Amino acid sequence: MTNHWSDIQHSDCALIMGANPAENHPISFRWLTKAQEKGGKIVSVDPRFTRTSAKADVYAQLRSGTDIAFMGGMIKYALDNELYHKDYVVNYTNASFILKDTYEFNDGIFSGYDEPTRKYDKTQWAFETDEEGNPVKDMTLKHPRSVFQMMKNHYSRYDADTVCSVTGTPKEDFLKVCEAFCATGAPDKAGTILYAMGTTQHTVGTQNVRAFGMIQLLLGNMGLPGGGLNAMRGESNVQGSTDFGLLYNNLTGYLGAPTMLHPTLEAYNEKETPSAGYWSNKPKFLVSLLKAWYGPNATKDNEFGYQYLPKGNKNYSHINLFSAMYKGELEGAFLFGTNPVVGGPNAGKEKEALGNLKWLVAADLWETESASFWQKEAGSNPSAISTEVFLLPAASSYEKEGSVSNSSRWMQYRWQAIKPKGQSLADLEIIHEMYLHLKDLYKNEKTPAAKPFNALDWNFGKGNHPDIDLVCKEINGYDLTTGKLVPGFGALKDDGTTTSGNWIYSGFYPEEGNNRAKSRDNKDTGGGNYLNWSFAWPANRRILYNRAAADLNGKPWSKKTAIIWWDASQKKWVGNDVPDFVVDRAPTDPGGTNPYTMLKDGVAGLFAGNLNDGPFPEHYEPFESPVANAFSSQDSNPAIQLFDGEFNLKGDYKQFPIVATTYRVSEHWQSGSMTRNQEWLSELVGHMFVEISEELAKEKGIKNKDKVIVSSARGEIEAYAMVTKRFKPYTIQGQKVHHIGMPWHFGYKGFATGDTANRLTPHIGDANTTIPEYKAFLCNVRRAN
Amino acid sequence: MATEYVKLVDVTKCDGCRACMVACKNWNDLPAEPQDFLGTMQSHANVSADTWNVLTFVEHENSKGGLDYLFRHSSCYHCVDAACEKVCPESAISYTDFGSVVIDHDKCVGCGYCEQNCPFDVISLKEYKDKNGKEYRKANKCTMCTDRLEEGLQPACVTTCHPGAMQFGEKEEMLQKAEKRVSEIKERYPNATIYNPAGVGGTHTIYVLAEKPSVYGMPENPKVPTSAVLWKDYAQPIGKAMVGGVTMALVGAFVANKFFDKKGKEHEEDGGDRHE
Repeated sequence: MTNHWSDIQHSDCALIMGANPAENHPISFRWLTKAQEKGGKIVSVDPRFTRTSAKADVYAQLRSGTDIAFMGGMIKYALDNELYHKDYVVNYTNASFILKDTYEFNDGIFSGYDEPTRKYDKTQWAFETDEEGNPVKDMTLKHPRSVFQMMKNHYSRYDADTVCSVTGTPKEDFLKVCEAFCATGAPDKAGTILYAMGTTQHTVGTQNVRAFGMIQLLLGNMGLPGGGLNAMRGESNVQGSTDFGLLYNNLTGYLGAPTMLHPTLEAYNEKETPSAGYWSNKPKFLVSLLKAWYGPNATKDNEFGYQYLPKGNKNYSHINLFSAMYKGELEGAFLFGTNPVVGGPNAGKEKEALGNLKWLVAADLWETESASFWQKEAGSNPSAISTEVFLLPAASSYEKEGSVSNSSRWMQYRWQAIKPKGQSLADLEIIHEMYLHLKDLYKNEKTPAAKPFNALDWNFGKGNHPDIDLVCKEINGYDLTTGKLVPGFGALKDDGTTTSGNWIYSGFYPEEGNNRAKSRDNKDTGGGNYLNWSFAWPANRRILYNRAAADLNGKPWSKKTAIIWWDASQKKWVGNDVPDFVVDRAPTDPGGTNPYTMLKDGVAGLFAGNLNDGPFPEHYEPFESPVANAFSSQDSNPAIQLFDGEFNLKGDYKQFPIVATTYRVSEHWQSGSMTRNQEWLSELVGHMFVEISEELAKEKGIKNKDKVIVSSARGEIEAYAMVTKRFKPYTIQGQKVHHIGMPWHFGYKGFATGDTANRLTPHIGDANTTIPEYKAFLCNVRRAN
Repeated sequence: MATEYVKLVDVTKCDGCRACMVACKNWNDLPAEPQDFLGTMQSHANVSADTWNVLTFVEHENSKGGLDYLFRHSSCYHCVDAACEKVCPESAISYTDFGSVVIDHDKCVGCGYCEQNCPFDVISLKEYKDKNGKEYRKANKCTMCTDRLEEGLQPACVTTCHPGAMQFGEKEEMLQKAEKRVSEIKERYPNATIYNPAGVGGTHTIYVLAEKPSVYGMPENPKVPTSAVLWKDYAQPIGKAMVGGVTMALVGAFVANKFFDKKGKEHEEDGGDRHE
């Protein structure tokens, strides 16, 4: 989130799209209800009328996988009706920048496309620059090749009729949504967008978020209380896990993982460090991280241990790993709290892939469907599987100490409530013990595998139990010249004299104070920001880009949307939050009107040339779709990696004419391994079901509570039919299209059991993140027997 | 009477998360009751001896032609004039100072008259076995967490309700809040109303409803059955005076079969227990 949970109460309009917070992020409704009580509106856009839709003031249905068409239409609506925040757009975005002639867009394809590799040459999407390398601008926004005009031209095709024929939204409802949300373009209004996996789990997931970002910039909603672009994270600590580099292409703090393109530290720094903006400090963060990891073994002479880092040349995302596993290219795997046999795309095939491993280690609270993939109950033939499986009992969150970071970027410390049961251990202890054993095994080895391992500077106390406080301090970082904890990331250096395990958290544990993740002062410090409750990265800042909530002169756009402002008498930025700006940089100083300090140009990108699939979001149909793309002759995203063959069969709409999506319920968590083992939650949602409209039920002769078979090109599952008014058939390009949905929590273990929805979903992912397209695929439904 | 307290349930703020159901089971240590699939998101058809509150889900096409998806926390209403209290031959059911209606299991003999006469269907009998294997029954229902109230705590369901759809407080204040809320939501829900039925003397669980009570499956005009009034206010005092309290249950059984057994016959026709 750019903003935070309790900030939602300040919103004049909350657009909830690709998310169902009433069911999946219930606590948000504490704040959404407050916003509504103050006269704010809630808008819900969803394929299904959800519990969120029930609480919303405006609801619009849209077919899964058509968000860009919808948002493109909203961008056009805001531009045509001049509802955008003009001063904001002119000054705080790159709308005025002039694009080079090399940038073009034609029939669904941007310039620079190479069909054999399915990749773009992004250097063609560049700005005109002057002699000093600064972008050429037209502040009137009238230049035909200005970002503003090019954007206007791009979305001129997204008129309400075309949009609605693609999304299946009743035009009247589409316009109501546009009207309600675009009203927040007024300078004294703030609108928030709340999204989750309904947005991201598509082959165009990243561009879906980009489209949200664009409308928020046009309406001047970024940086304002009650505004922002707010990803509601799907797990209690998934924010923390991405912050700490659990994605394959990140080290900690969103430093990109080195690849073959970065053979040396120098090459990495040269390629990855922008010339301006706060990321120009990247070498300091990387060297401090290397120093945290390798300590005295990281010296200037050995590139601070840079060569200890692996440098791959592949995409190591979930989909690719399982594809490699299926081909027998992987020897072993660790599953820490993950259950791909239920949660993975095309889960039936992922289960088969596990059988190609020599060994599998599963660390979990229960024996999951994945840990027991080889059992007869899993549909496997145990005698044909030679994988050796180790199950490590893990402690639950109540049985251990440590921090979780929530969607608000708040790192909140938790204390142990009860001792772990049996032989179960905290993940930290499991890893620590594994380190101790491996250290022993590697100590006399000089192999390439042993080298980086032996170089690790692992100082978390003596014995089998790591001192978690030392882990916290390592994350914060030290000044090695004084041995003291650093006050924040501003103190980090690239000469090897500082350490920090994760620069964005640096400052949460300063020398003079306590671990600020333990702060629990619930007094409102102003504006509902509670600055003394937990620690929000970066620098305890609660609303990112908050400089943008003030005008060029540093005065809030309105009293209502004020958060920080320039105090001329004190010569500094003051207000209700930690300024996301150099605190004494006056609006009249160089860069004093550039609120987007992380970015090279200091302004936000309506045009973003760094994504793999284009600088403007463009609608493409999902990998499996019932219709051809109405916007171009490119049916699906031309930049996605294709997986085909028997591992990922593609369904045809003639055989599988129904659009399907998956989702979660309040009572179950992810693959259900925790909640389906909990009786009180299992009694609340005890059965796998599929929601189908009354109309589809009638066509198929299905009655409520009947058992039905849902089939896709990948497999078949059985489920109970939940016949509901909350799904309605769609009219897409003049034809009737049915839409169904189902939860993906079920498996055969635990109290609440049922077939696994992901046996139906395709093994295909987004062009930037490779997140699987769980949310839109084709299927068919029939009565069982 | 001491200050009267009520639980105000504003269903228009409820988002159906069902934390109230789990909090209730947790505090009251009630076992799970796995159900067959009901064809909706609703988990249990009705409250039962082990499930004291149920979140109901109703898909309703409203008068404007739109769809409403209505949620309601349903549990004991804690009537001011409680039929269950009236018909209990053992005086096992009583009113507390908080206004809640509670069952004393030491006195309850499991006769089932309370269950049969509750106008809201929120009391249920549960079968138990003693250490000798002998079966016996006791009536169960929501206690309004009277044990928590006595300790200065709020009911478990209220404490856990994150959107603030439930509040527990002084009756007058709660009624004022309810009236204010109804006026606020009238535009969106023209049929919005307060549910505090006079036929049972008012209740200590008061609702703000988005729709007419019948849309939620609630009785529009619930009443204490006449037979219960006759029993409690006339027959029982006379009977006790004549034969003494100890044998009153026997007399009660005879009288009650005559007076109250309207539901028992339905059960036979159904051929089953409605709680399964």
